[in-house]
Amino acid sequence: MNDFSEIEDKLRKLRPVQPSADLMTRIERALAEARSGESLHRENGSTSTAGVLPREHRFHVNWLSLGLGLAAAAALVLFARFQLERPVKKTPALAAITPAPAFSSTSLTAQFVPAGLTQVVYHTRDEGLHFPNNSEQPMRRVRSHTRETLRWRNPITGASLRISYPSEEVSLVPVTGQ
Amino acid sequence: MENVATDENWKTCFSQLAPGLVLFARQWARSSADAEDIVQEAFVRFWRKQHDIANRGLLYAAVRSIALDFLRRDNRRARRESTAASETDQTVQPMFEIEDESQRALVAALDLLPNEQREVLVMKIWNDLTFAEIASALEISQNTAASRYRYALANLKKNLLPV
Repeated sequence: MNDFSEIEDKLRKLRPVQPSADLMTRIERALAEARSGESLHRENGSTSTAGVLPREHRFHVNWLSLGLGLAAAAALVLFARFQLERPVKKTPALAAITPAPAFSSTSLTAQFVPAGLTQVVYHTRDEGLHFPNNSEQPMRRVRSHTRETLRWRNPITGASLRISYPSEEVSLVPVTGQ
Repeated sequence: MENVATDENWKTCFSQLAPGLVLFARQWARSSADAEDIVQEAFVRFWRKQHDIANRGLLYAAVRSIALDFLRRDNRRARRESTAASETDQTVQPMFEIEDESQRALVAALDLLPNEQREVLVMKIWNDLTFAEIASALEISQNTAASRYRYALANLKKNLLPV
């Protein structure tokens, strides 16, 4: 730090430009406004800084947005419930043991067909060498964490259903000698 | 400097802090007037909430936050008015009262510093903040504040060598 004492002295000799004389007056006015006219200030949201400075953030409940949001959420829940319940109601219980009857247009709309399976391995840990029972050859035990996502899709309505769950898999990999 | 929210007290506090605060705000503002607006807003907010004036880190953090908001708006305005912005670039107001050529060279070298080093330097040299207060204002560790200060001085020294 001693190496810099000379430059620190030079810097300290530099004098910052003095603020304008009316800055103190402006702050005085702003503080007075804040104290005496708090309610007025809240009503019109004005500031004494020519609009340069940010306004205070207050918590306002926008009832229209909240109502619309709740209505949309309720509609979505009803729609999802309707879509999930329809296959159970419409699919005949005998379909599994008897030849499928000719599909009517209503049963077709309620059918979900598998659309895909995604398996994402997001973590793999090598747990080292192990000697499993009845084996003289060492095996490398690898533990991997995955997330599997199954998707079904209704080709008629375009509705889709997705189930995602985590899974853990332990695999033993034979170690080849060198 | 005890923080009792009376007229006399805030005036005493502010008159001591004002030049350094305005200089601190000037790093993000093009003009002294803008910097003063930033300082005014920060100080009024700080005082109205009756924060302890000993907690200077909080005051500088408020200045910095408002200045960065201001800078974002100012940049948007500059993009909209690109020709006007180029004119204001040519008429940037001085931040220091320069007495001789060596001081002019020093100010020029200050301008070359990276922002993160310059702000620490301004807080330390012209505002007498401790590294703990600087760290609190900038939300960095004290070690980082101290190393930024040392880097700033080293860079200044290096930039001043050829003069």
